[in-house]
Amino acid sequence: MDGLKKILSGRFVLGALSIGLVLLIYTIITSRPDNNPALLPPIPDIVASFFTNLAAGTLLDALWASLYRIFLGFFIGTTLAVIIGCLVGWYKTIEYLVDPIIEAIRPIPPLAYIPIIIIWFGIEEFSRVLLISIACFMVCVVNVIAGMKNVPQVYVDAASTMGASRFQVFRTVAVPAATPFIITGYRIALAAAWTTLVAAELIAAPSGLGYMLQEGRRYFLTDQVMMIIVIIGACAFIMDRTFRSIQKRLMIWSETRE
Amino acid sequence: MSEIVVDKLTHTFGKGGLEALTVLENIDLKFEDGSFTSIVGTSGCGKSTLLKMMAGLFDPSDGQMTLDGELIKGTDRRRGMVFQQDAVFPWMTVAKNISYGPRLRGASVTEQREVEAKWTEMVGLKGFEDRWPRELSGGMRKRVDIGRVYANDPDVLLMDEPFGALDAQTKERMQSDLLEAWRQSKKTVIFVTHDLEEAIYLSDKIIVMSARPGRVHHIEEVTLPRPRTDEMRLTDEFIQIKRRLWAMLEH
Repeated sequence: MDGLKKILSGRFVLGALSIGLVLLIYTIITSRPDNNPALLPPIPDIVASFFTNLAAGTLLDALWASLYRIFLGFFIGTTLAVIIGCLVGWYKTIEYLVDPIIEAIRPIPPLAYIPIIIIWFGIEEFSRVLLISIACFMVCVVNVIAGMKNVPQVYVDAASTMGASRFQVFRTVAVPAATPFIITGYRIALAAAWTTLVAAELIAAPSGLGYMLQEGRRYFLTDQVMMIIVIIGACAFIMDRTFRSIQKRLMIWSETRE
Repeated sequence: MSEIVVDKLTHTFGKGGLEALTVLENIDLKFEDGSFTSIVGTSGCGKSTLLKMMAGLFDPSDGQMTLDGELIKGTDRRRGMVFQQDAVFPWMTVAKNISYGPRLRGASVTEQREVEAKWTEMVGLKGFEDRWPRELSGGMRKRVDIGRVYANDPDVLLMDEPFGALDAQTKERMQSDLLEAWRQSKKTVIFVTHDLEEAIYLSDKIIVMSARPGRVHHIEEVTLPRPRTDEMRLTDEFIQIKRRLWAMLEH
């Protein structure tokens, strides 16, 4: 009895319940006689759009195009962010050289680069990946730097009094001590990658989920628009969850729990 | 041989500035090879600053320190330090923490295993090799800390109120275990504390410092026989020393 109660009040059941409630309210609204399905398509229409596009192959094509851009941009942006962030956060000379540039660029939203990127590189695959890389880099690097600056002094002192060189302290103490911040940087970068991807594809892309959104608007396919929104949400959610489980495994030593 | 000599050492924070603060003034001290010396004094007497300078964590503004005639400048493995704060690396298991020093110098896996086995045993953590520090109590983490410094085999052991954060009983256990480790290794130990009983129980010699600016006020030779036992804490001689030192810190 108690066990059942625990399961029913658990995270999964309550989470499913709240999503179910939202779907129910949506169904009630869309089934009212005065509802215009062209603006607010009923759930069966959205599901139908999913299967139509799946069968036609357009959905998978768009999904792969988008995921490819996300992974490539995310990988390039975060890798550079970790390398540069670690160096900037640890070595004062590098900090004084590079930090002003990062600070100057940081407040600029990545989407502001779209015009200049199009002028320089055209509407190419490269441009989109570049934009996502920039977005990932900017949000991630800030976290990495913060992580390196928050390395407790006592760990640094302990390592140096055991004979560690400055570089050894960097490698064996500072980087591992900063991993919680670095992983948070990765997760924020992933969210930024999705935001930028959709924006970039809305404006300039011959394929991808953002392109399908745009197409849906142009031909007034509201059910397709709704379907793509749900797909994007689901993808971002799954990726974030995957990341969290990686984080949990990497951070097994850490005291902080969710 | 590992003898530290402090020669006319003065340290001023923010030297030359308006808010210059002299924390140590004209310190002359000698720490003999294999001796156990404590430094006591009220807070602000610069005892921790002195210890950190011996470790090489920063340089004095005037005067110098030598280890066996060699000028102390910067940190190196010859002068190991145990800190008041928890300095155990949380991202390494107990064993990996212990063998950190040898690993820095490229010790082989076999050598690392030997060091880990020897020192986890010595500090009483056998069976905890694969635990994460977060799974240990404060006292056990301190043991890891001490084991790690010992495993690194320094000539001099600098300890900055290492047992300050522990409860009374754990503290007494740690003190007698520390004496046992010291008896076996005969390293020069310099131990900073504000706990007089701890200083008397552990040391050959106690340096009493006065505050603002920090100066050497008195040097007490502790002639209690070794090995020290817990019963000694209640002897007349012990209590007399404590009373004398206490009066000095009160002044």
